[in-house]
Amino acid sequence: MFRRIFIYALFFYFLALLQTSVLADLSLRGVINLISVFVILINLFEKPRDYAGLYAGFIGGFFWDIFSANFIGQNALILLALALFIKIVLRKYVWAPAF
Amino acid sequence: MKSVFKKNKILVVIVVGILLVLSLNFFQKTVKGFFYATSAPVQKSLEQTGSNATDFFSGVFRSKELKKENEELELNIQILLAENASLKEIQEENQVLRGALEIGLQKDFRLALAEITSQDIGQGSILINQGSKDGLNKGMPVITQQKVLLGRITEIYEDFSRVALISSKESSFDAEVLDRGASGVVKGKSSQLLTLDLVVQDKEIKEGDVVVSASLGGIYPKGLLVGLVQEVKRSDTDPFYQIAVVPFFDLQRTNSVLIILDF
Repeated sequence: MFRRIFIYALFFYFLALLQTSVLADLSLRGVINLISVFVILINLFEKPRDYAGLYAGFIGGFFWDIFSANFIGQNALILLALALFIKIVLRKYVWAPAF
Repeated sequence: MKSVFKKNKILVVIVVGILLVLSLNFFQKTVKGFFYATSAPVQKSLEQTGSNATDFFSGVFRSKELKKENEELELNIQILLAENASLKEIQEENQVLRGALEIGLQKDFRLALAEITSQDIGQGSILINQGSKDGLNKGMPVITQQKVLLGRITEIYEDFSRVALISSKESSFDAEVLDRGASGVVKGKSSQLLTLDLVVQDKEIKEGDVVVSASLGGIYPKGLLVGLVQEVKRSDTDPFYQIAVVPFFDLQRTNSVLIILDF
């Protein structure tokens, strides 16, 4: 679990750097945010019983806050809530053989 | 006990998360400053890669458009060369007159040079590599070398500062339309667009007119280039024009900026 969290931290750190440098230049103009996209994907494809996706949401939002003008925690809490919402929906309302 | 903890794992994550976030806000400047300082070298090279890639892709995708633009620019160069020649004559005349009248040139701004470290287009802000250590303060105007207004410092760290661009939605300042005698308030709308409000309809304003900053609000010095009028809308019910302005600054081509220390 800790290994996964560490990997997520590194991954989202570099993603936040990319988002505010290369991707800011490449005409994405703030429309697509890769951090939230990856948080959604991680939570969608993770087993609903696993919790690492929640950490991913929090860590991703944290680095997004660090490299933007937001106060620390704004996106961290939003993405944490989003991850939690996906988990609850998947657990309660979606049935798939893979889960 | 262990099973209770396991059952409430989600709750624990949320509580720990909120507490962590709240505590970090007390040291926001230190935490952000630390990350900016450690990430600056990587971010600088990524920023460079980004602008190189943009130049490459824009060349590929806009070749037809660029050809047309090139033809127009060549024509403009001819016009400007002629204009330049006449302006040089006027400049010489002006210098002679100034000497004669013993008028000193207007006191120039005291400037500091900084480089853009990162951009947050969504929020309409950029990060520059100069901070309180270098004598910068909140509210200082930031311009390019061409005297184009970028914005002003809104957050200050030891080695870095965050600049809110004039295109950010919170931005609002006094400006005037050059040679038209009309003044109004420029507000940020999106990364590519500004609006000029509160311009009374008794003055004629056309597309392509230049908007410059006014000293009225005391936020920016007078005469800094803001943008070009893109669209002018009149309404019978509204006494003011609705003017769309395209900002002059182009972040993709701007690497270094100037901070006006006093004006």
